[in-house]
Order: sequence, then structure tokens, then C-alpha cells
Amino acid sequence: MNLALFFSPRASHRLGAFFALIGGAGLWLVLAAVASPARAAEPDWSRSLVSVEVTFKQADAFQPWNEPTRAIRKHGLVISASEVLTTAQYLPTHTLVRLQKGGRGRWFDARVKWWDAQSNLALITTDAPAFWAGQQAAELMETVPPGPEFGLLRWRDGNLENRRVEFSKFTVSDGVLGFAPHLLLEVGTDLGGLGWSEVVVRDGRVAGMTSYGTPRTCGVLPASFIRRVLAAYRAGNYAGLGYFDFTWQPGSNPELLAELGLKGEPRGAVVQHAGKESDPAKAPQARDILLEIDGFAIDVEGDYRDPDYGYLQLENLPGRARFAGEIIPIKLWRAGAEVTIPYTIPTAKFEDMLVPAEVFGAPPAYVVAGGLVFQPLTQPFLRGWGEEWRKFSPFRLQYFQYQDAADDRPSLVVMTGVLPDPINLGYQNDAMLVIDRVNGRRISTLAELVEALRAPSDGGVHRFEFMPGLSRQRLLLDAPGLDAATKRVVEHYGIPAATRF
Amino acid sequence: MAFIGLDESPARGGEKSRDFLRFSYVTALRPIAASVPVCRMKKSVGCVPWRGCKRIAWAGLLALAWGLGVSPMRAQLLAPGPDAARAVAAPAPVAQAIPLTAAEAEAALPSERAVVQILTSSQEPVYDAPWRFESVRRSTGTGFVIEGGRILTNAHVVAWAKQILVRRYQDPRLLPARVVFVGHDCDLALLQLEDPQGLADVTPLVLGELPPVRSTVVTAGYPAGGEQMSFTRGVVSRIEVQTYAHPGNRALLAVQTDAAINPGNSGGPVLQNDKVVGVAFQGIPGLQNAGFFIPPEIVRHFLRDVEDGRYDGFPLAGVTLEPLQNPAYRRHLGLPDDGRGARVDFLRADGSAIKVLRPDDVLLEADGLEVGSDGMVPYRGNRVTAGIAFQRPQSGESLRVKIWRDGAPLELDLPVTAYTGDRLAGRQYDAPPRYYIHAGLVFTPLSANYLDTVGRLGRDPAWEGFAKLLYELYHRPAENFASARAEPVVLAGVLPHPVNADLGVRGRVLVNRINGVRIERLEDVKRAFADNPNARHLLEFEGPEEGPLEAIDRAAASAAHADILRTYGIVSDQRL
Repeated sequence: MNLALFFSPRASHRLGAFFALIGGAGLWLVLAAVASPARAAEPDWSRSLVSVEVTFKQADAFQPWNEPTRAIRKHGLVISASEVLTTAQYLPTHTLVRLQKGGRGRWFDARVKWWDAQSNLALITTDAPAFWAGQQAAELMETVPPGPEFGLLRWRDGNLENRRVEFSKFTVSDGVLGFAPHLLLEVGTDLGGLGWSEVVVRDGRVAGMTSYGTPRTCGVLPASFIRRVLAAYRAGNYAGLGYFDFTWQPGSNPELLAELGLKGEPRGAVVQHAGKESDPAKAPQARDILLEIDGFAIDVEGDYRDPDYGYLQLENLPGRARFAGEIIPIKLWRAGAEVTIPYTIPTAKFEDMLVPAEVFGAPPAYVVAGGLVFQPLTQPFLRGWGEEWRKFSPFRLQYFQYQDAADDRPSLVVMTGVLPDPINLGYQNDAMLVIDRVNGRRISTLAELVEALRAPSDGGVHRFEFMPGLSRQRLLLDAPGLDAATKRVVEHYGIPAATRF
Repeated sequence: MAFIGLDESPARGGEKSRDFLRFSYVTALRPIAASVPVCRMKKSVGCVPWRGCKRIAWAGLLALAWGLGVSPMRAQLLAPGPDAARAVAAPAPVAQAIPLTAAEAEAALPSERAVVQILTSSQEPVYDAPWRFESVRRSTGTGFVIEGGRILTNAHVVAWAKQILVRRYQDPRLLPARVVFVGHDCDLALLQLEDPQGLADVTPLVLGELPPVRSTVVTAGYPAGGEQMSFTRGVVSRIEVQTYAHPGNRALLAVQTDAAINPGNSGGPVLQNDKVVGVAFQGIPGLQNAGFFIPPEIVRHFLRDVEDGRYDGFPLAGVTLEPLQNPAYRRHLGLPDDGRGARVDFLRADGSAIKVLRPDDVLLEADGLEVGSDGMVPYRGNRVTAGIAFQRPQSGESLRVKIWRDGAPLELDLPVTAYTGDRLAGRQYDAPPRYYIHAGLVFTPLSANYLDTVGRLGRDPAWEGFAKLLYELYHRPAENFASARAEPVVLAGVLPHPVNADLGVRGRVLVNRINGVRIERLEDVKRAFADNPNARHLLEFEGPEEGPLEAIDRAAASAAHADILRTYGIVSDQRL
């Protein structure tokens, strides 16, 4: 290969900065050689690409006290003397993580050092020196250039496979685990079974890591995105990815822009619905026109021109050079004039959603009371209906996903089923009912439910009221007998504990 | 999900007269031959893609939940879905007919002359292009002569009919007929020959009583598989309230039998001791040897309804009953644990029952039928949902109910009326869809029929836009009646023209406001455009909060209107 084609002084400078960033010990000698203008040969990727085995707990939507385990294998990339980079998928509920180098041989016990759902990144390490011996830290590109081809590395049956994949486009997309939009490199390929953190390379450097695969395409977390997140993490100031919490539409209808009073050439995108911040001085409001964000002009498609990646959707801007909590200037057209507001980028938090797309950090929550089983309404619960859950899970439960959380109802609790017992006779067929009130108290969480059950309504009964709709509206349970019945049910059905939340 | 026993097989040859028949249809209606698969879909509701079936299932649930009391289907429908969906999608089995004995065939002879074949040419509108109609389709069904020289058949046999021909038993003539009364909610229709003398020599069949379970019945009709009248024998398997597939959102008493009821049998009599004990009408794919017929109670209700020259329909009280079997609940209401009484759980805001009943009233007796704690009533040796008691009166009549309220019994008269508030949520027939077109924007009411067009596009039912329309049509009225629109309107599509080419919203979306006017019904669309004095029309979609926005130049829209209609061959810009 012609090394001069692949290395420029600028690149060398950037690599130097990268080394300073990630720190490390003896491996830097190797990396320094790679970074020299004299350009070394193509790295021995087998010394950087490793296998990661993750055993993790799965949720049983209909028996949340059961958590069967499953194991998967994916890839990781040695990026420092003691760190393996991989995607965060499957790690939030892991029970065991192991690493293997060279595609074969011994598995080393490992531990998760850090993971982040929104960026879908994780760092793994192991205390076994034998694992690190002979490993070589890979270099992440600072900017991923568009180009016709990349190489895709993966271990297949103990052999390192390096296959060509075609550049398709840079795009902006929600993460696989999160909902904060970020840059994504999309490559076209006929290879099957991708999306297991395979590494995409070009010119001896890492261009990204796969996060999902479809039969014809593959989504790749670009190295530049990974570098930025890791740098913030290492600097101790990673506040998480942010997002725009307002909704917008393209300004491609000139008549609409004119109706909104815009003067001059058609430009900008139209805000449909404001986010949580209702102060117009701090956030875009409905019918504002987004003209400029963080200094980038917004066109009628809702795109801006990125200096590195060309035209990208404006949704990339909260994460392009900033993180959650930072203030980003937004120039708007409002009431016949331009106005610039300081918009604080909201943190992408699942708990802000009426139906959280993910629940991490705790096992599935539930309450069993007199045989009635209650769970929070979450997307993981809906996914209990299988791969085609969007088709088969109860429509009404699903539809709450399209509704906003309210201050007085930030989340929902569902009576997901009934474990038959004499106390709940007559209710054995009831299921999937969203709780409105228990004993007169409005219920949003399992904690509120448990609290409400401490104060039965008059007449010695617990009164459960459900959301108005097509199903049962209310049921009563005997209050004095509830605790004994719960104990009986828990024993009878082999449930470890009556509550977990 | 039920299928409808209507035969839309391609014309079959054989006798010379049949050849003529086939020739006349095939030549006149050439597209039919090319669209046989489509026709098959129509003949069998159960064969439509599962999305449609699922919607019907929801509609059926609504019927049970809103008006017919205890809903034993609920648990089934709310249970994990894949199995239910697979059951719906399964192909209809062909039941094995049991040949009649010679004695039975001899006994059946008097009936044969009263049983007729009905040949229908029908044409349905296109709900997302509501000024257009589909190709003409041909189908056959069965009917039978009743008193007054009238022919009773299923409503679905003659729905959307452009021409109805009757063929009598072993008679070569094709006798033109017309619909006199049709009850789409109960899937029954009364026909009359254009020449009343055409049936003068036929002895009408007489209605019998509800046949007991396990008793033998005989079906007569013209099902697929041959030209001649076919008789099959079976037993009455069970008697229950079932969702009627034709309207999709009504559940009435129905009888299940293992007598073969196949496409083409629809509208045919089910006989017992020379009397009609039912009208064959639907089956359930996936269930072997299970056909359904409409019992005499429903037929008599229909016939009595039309005596005044108008069909009103079956009443719907808008009350949902729940079983009252839980001891604590019974104690709380002051009721002994004696197995009596079902609890009023929900009252529809626009139903008639809400004027008389309250939540947590306990229904002890309805129309003389004792209501059990399971929400069922004993009915001629069966237990069926108490909802049938509310369906027995005619619209406008009352039924006597005995309830338990505030610890004491109480007797009340509950007026019931035919309910049309959920018309759009059920399948509509015979009346072409309303629409209004302005500047190439096509507006039409959101309806079950309209949603079918979304399904035909192969849209995933989980598609957010589709989900929002489903919610608006089926769920919002029950959950929040005050925020529901009387007739939700959708932008069905946009007829491309320079005046509307920049619009990002291209259809299949609920219309929220136009020029600030909240769109409650289609007429509001016309008014909102006509009354706008501003330079542009502003359209807001979805809602109730802010959704997609579009604007269109008012003067340019008016100027382009006629050109757009001409370009797309639309004769009228409205059917209101």
C-alpha cells in the first residue's frame, strides 16, 4: 500500500492527541509506530479484535419474578492497555462476561467497567494479564471519510474474516438501546448475521463498530462518535446524550412558511409541538421556524450541512458537539422576527417517557396482591409478545406509547393478570387493565399502589379502578384477607417475593 | 372470525342455460375473471388479511363491551395475541356433508320449491377514492320464500347489489328482484320479485322455534361445488351470542351446527320438521364442522321491525355487565352469595341505559329473564349472555329490569333504541361514502371501511399513523366521549396538482382543524374552506394537540379546483 495516501501530518497530529487522551503504558510504543509518518503495515487486527461472551438475564413479561438467562457472543475491540470497547447491548442485565482473544482458546473472566444505553457503548476489562499479552490497541478515526468501501472484521469459526462492505450514507438515527439521535454510518452488504459489534475499518484504522444488521445493510457507530463519547467519559464530564424534545416538520411548503410570516427565501423547519419547557424565551414553541441551530443554518428539509459528513438531519445537532445539559443557541423565526434563544439540551432519560422504551438498572418490577399481578407499563413488557409484539400485544397498551406523560400521571401501572385464589374468585380472566385509582388514590407507580393498599376504602374492601375504555372498570378485593391471600398465592405459585420494585 | 357463506366462484358450465349464464356474466363483466382472488376475499370475510379480521375482532369486542353485557370473549382477546391471530388467519375447512337418507330427501321435497338461488351483481365503492367504484362482482347465495311472496336471505348476499336475479328450483328463468328491507346489523334482507306473480305458486316456508341443542337440522341451499340444490344434515351444537361478521360490531344470538354451511349457503333455510329454524349465514375458519345460522328469534324481530314500513334495527342499551362472583364484592353490595345478579360496570355516555342505570347497580332480572352472577340468563335450555334481554324489544320499546341498588331491590323500565352512534366503527353497506374535495385534497369520514383501504396497502398495523386512526375510531369514544368527534374526518389523499404539490401531508391522517375550525363532521370541512377570508387555508392534522400543519393559497386553490376535477375525471367534488 502507498502509505502516503493514508497518512497526513494532520492525521498524525490527531492521533497524537488521541493517544494523550486515552493514556496507557507499553502499548503506546506500538501505536506510536503506527502513527508515524513512515506508516507501518496494515495492523494485525487479530491482536485487536476480541470475542465477548455475555450471559444476561432476560425478562419474562408474564412472570416478572422469573428471569431466565441466555448467553450471546459478540465482538470487542482493544482500545487501550486495559480496555475493550464493545456495544452496550446485552450488558445491562449481565451476570457473566468473558473475553477471548485470537478467536479461539481460553476465555477470560471480565467485568463491565462502563456502559451507556443512549450511545450504546461499553468498556470491558479483565484482571488477567495473560489476556492483554500480545494485544494491540486499535486506532479510532477522528473523522470517518465517506468512501466506496470499508473492511468488516469478525471472528468466524476461529478465523479472522475481513470482508468488504460498501459505503451507503451517513445518517442520523435513534440508538439501538436509546432514543437520543446520533450519527450513524450505514453500509451495504450481503453478509448475513451482522450487528454483533463487528469492527469496520479502512486504511488501517477503525471507522466504527456495528450496532445492528439487516439482510442488506448494517448500522455502524462511527469512530468519531465513539471517540467523543469516550473522551467525555474519561474526562469525567459525560452527562449523557441529549435530544430535542420538541417535534418539527420540514418547511418544504412555502405557503406554510408564508402563513407563519417568514420573510425572504423559504428556509428552516417548522416546530409542530413544543417540548416540556414552556417558556418561549428558553425553548422553541409550536409554529416557530427553526432557522439556525448551533450556528448551522437549517434548510427546508430540516437538514444542516455538516463540515465532515455533508447534509444531516438537524436531530444530530444536540449530540454533534455537545452533551445533555449544555446550552445550544437556536435562532428562530417567531412573530415576524428572528430571535435567538438559549436551549438547554434535555437528557435522554427513559423514565421521562409514559411508556419507557427500556428499564435498566433494576430487575423487572412487580407487585402481587391477593393474586392480582401488577407491573409498570414498559416497552420491555410489551416486547414479551415476541418479535412481532407491535402486531400482537394489546393495542390499547401499545397506544400509550404515543401519548405524553403528564405531571399527574408520569407512568402507568398495569394489572397484567390474575393468579387464581379464592380471594380473587370471579376475576380470573381479567388481564391487561391499566390502573387508574386504588382506594381512591391515583396510581402511577407500584410504590403508590402499595401505599394505597395500606388504606382500604370503606366497607373493608380494596377498590381498584381501571382506565375508562373497553374493559372492566373496577373490582373489589376483601381487605382483611388480603395479606394472608398474598402469602398463600406467593407460596402456591412459587414466587420468590410478593413485591419487587 | 366468521366467514360469510356467499359463493363467488367463477361461473360453472354444464347445461346450456348455465353456459348462457356464464357467457353473459363473463363477457359483460370481464374484469371479474381477472379478479377472482379479490372476489374470494370478499366472499369470505374470514379470508381477508388478518389485519381486517383483527379489526373485526375489535369491533366484536366493542359490540360485546358496549351494549351486550358480559363479554366472555374479552379474556380470549386480551390473552397473548399470536394464537388468536393465527386462528383468524387459518383457512376455512370444508365440512363433510352427511348424505341424506332417501326418506329425508323425500321429506325435504316441499321445501325445495321454496328455496331459491340468488345471483347478485354488486359494486362496492372505493373508500379512499370515494367517487370511484370497484369492478362489478358476481356472487351467489340462497334465499327462501316466506309469507307475502317475499324472499328472506342474508343482507350480505345482496349488499351493494346493482342487480339481483332469482332462480327458482328447477326453473330456467332468471327473475329480477329488489331489496325491500335490509337489516345489516342482523344480516337479514327481504326481497321481492319485480313480478310478484313469479312466486305465486310457491308455498311459503313457515318459521319454527329455536331448535334444542343436540336436535337434528337440515340446511338447504346452493353452495359451491355443484349446480343443484344441496341438503346437508347436522345437529345443533350450541346456542350462544356471536359476533355477526357482516356488520362486524354487533353480537346477536346465533346457533352453531355441524351441518355443512359453505359459500353459497348464505341466506338458505335451516329446517326442522318442515319449519324454518334458522338462516345459514357464517362460519369460523379453523373450526371444523362449525357453521352458524340465525335463529328464529332474530328473524322474527327483523320481520316485526319492518311491519311499519321501516327498519330501525336491534336496540343497543350501551351497558356493560360484569360477572359478580367475587364474595367480597357481593358482600360490599349487600348481596347474598346466591349466584344471582350481574354488576353494571360501564354505561356508554350516549346510550339509553345511562338514563336509568348506574355503575354498580346489580341486574337481577331483565325482560323476565333471571340474570346469574356469571352475567348469563337461562334461555330455552341454554345459558346465554344477559345482553339478549336488551335486544328482544323493538327500538323505542322498554324492557322491565329488576336491579339491586343501595342495598335494596328496585324495578325499572329501561327504554331501548337502535343505536347508530357506532355506525362508522362497523361495516357499512349500500350507501356510498361521503366525501368532499377541495383543491385536490380528498376528505372523507374515518370508518371501518376506510381503514380497510389502509390494510390493503399492506401497512403494518403497528404503523403509528394507522394506530392513531384506530384509536380515534374505536377507543376514543369509549374512553373520552367528550373529546370524540361525531364523525372524524380524514384526509384520504391528495390529487397531485401544482397547487398542492408542496404539501408534505399526503393523506391517511385525521383532520383536526381547518382555518381554526375543529372538524367534527364532513360538513365542517366544506364550511371551513368556504368561510375563510384569509389569503391561505391553514390545515392542522392529528391532534387534539399540535400536529402536522399545512397551508395552501386560497385563491390558487379555488382557481385550480375545477381543473383538478377535470384532470382526474371526477364528476362531483362532494357527496355530503
